[in-house]
Amino acid sequence: MFFYKFKEILLRFFPLILLYFLSFNSFEILKNHPNLIIFSFNLPVIIIYFYVLKLPHALGHGHIFTAGIINDIVVGIPLGISSLSYLILALVTSYIRNVTIREKMSAEWFTFVPALFFSNFISYIIINNFSNLSIYYIELLQNSFFTFLFFPIFYYFFNILSKLTPKD
Amino acid sequence: MFDNRDDYIIALRYALLKRGAKQKFSLFFLILLSIAIIFLDKSSISVMTPVRSVLNDLVYQVVIVSSAPGKSVKHLGNLTKQHFITYDKNKLLQEEVIKLKNKQFNDIFLKTENKNLKNTLNLTNNRSLKSDISIPAKVILDNQSPYLKSLLINKGRKDRIMKGMSVFSKNYLIGTIVESNFLSSRVLLLTDLNSRIPVIIENSDINAILSGNGSKSDLVLEYLPDQFELEPDQIIFTSGKDGYLAAGIPVAQSYLNKKNEVFVKVLADPDQASIIYITNGQINK
Repeated sequence: MFFYKFKEILLRFFPLILLYFLSFNSFEILKNHPNLIIFSFNLPVIIIYFYVLKLPHALGHGHIFTAGIINDIVVGIPLGISSLSYLILALVTSYIRNVTIREKMSAEWFTFVPALFFSNFISYIIINNFSNLSIYYIELLQNSFFTFLFFPIFYYFFNILSKLTPKD
Repeated sequence: MFDNRDDYIIALRYALLKRGAKQKFSLFFLILLSIAIIFLDKSSISVMTPVRSVLNDLVYQVVIVSSAPGKSVKHLGNLTKQHFITYDKNKLLQEEVIKLKNKQFNDIFLKTENKNLKNTLNLTNNRSLKSDISIPAKVILDNQSPYLKSLLINKGRKDRIMKGMSVFSKNYLIGTIVESNFLSSRVLLLTDLNSRIPVIIENSDINAILSGNGSKSDLVLEYLPDQFELEPDQIIFTSGKDGYLAAGIPVAQSYLNKKNEVFVKVLADPDQASIIYITNGQINK
């Protein structure tokens, strides 16, 4: 009984737990492998896009905002930049959800491009205008590309998880 | 045509303002809140400094706990790897000890000669060794984001860590303190794009600015004379011209890459730094 209850809670709060964990640890798995660092990607962005698109009730806007603030503190950039970037992503994703009639993985994969573009565009503009930080543009471009490229893998993984999650 | 446009506007308005059954805040409200936070953080209001400091400390304490499992795995892996290479390294080190012992006598002679020459020329050392401090600290998180190459450490203003202090790892300079909270601080690594330190090149009187480029094996020497060509295996020392860092701290070394091009790499390895020493500019004794 306890195990089922625990499993249910874990599955229900999985996206939240993962999002907060990644915000606190800034997804360092690939960092320990210098040869693989080129393949580093932004998993929080994939989580936000997938869950806002498919299961909006699983990821609250307040949590997205808080995760962004935490990420800003951990990464060391001015407060509010990641939150705004994540919220813009959520906004574009909500818009895509509202105008989409048929759900299809390939379509959702390609609509990820404008969502990612707007989200990154906003954060670059703010960093350029509101801080003295220099950005590693090539690294960011690689990061965005691999975030787009790895999306289908996580799409299938999150889809399986969402099917296992008990419905309200 | 107009109906179509109306549909898009309705979809956008719905995305911005609709909260849904499980949402407590609308996206519109949170976007405005984020913009307000960015402006507050940018404008140097006195209230924001302690707020940011407290927030930083809180988040960093959680980071210590949440990064513990990952760090343990990494530590275990490193320990196993170290075990296998220790034997070979020991042999090499024994040979190196013999060489260094011979070199030490030469160094003692040069030091004495230097001291005597300085006395003859009436030159004094400006270093105030009395003000030297060396505070050991532990690395909480080594953050290598596209925005900032930095380290988070577990010492802050409580332990007399101030913005601008120099950070050493295994007697090599690795960076400077750029953010000092009450319980934690942030170290900007030499490899970061925003890092700049005045340096002098071995066996020359050439001054330059050493700046980061994101990689530990590709640092940039700025403001070199037009005709100057850097040779491989030259050590780059701090020149002390910023008035903060002591002169003569070894920071980087030139080397030949696979394509026979001369590059500059840092002597310290920021990725391996776990215990570091923070000083007020002098080399860690």
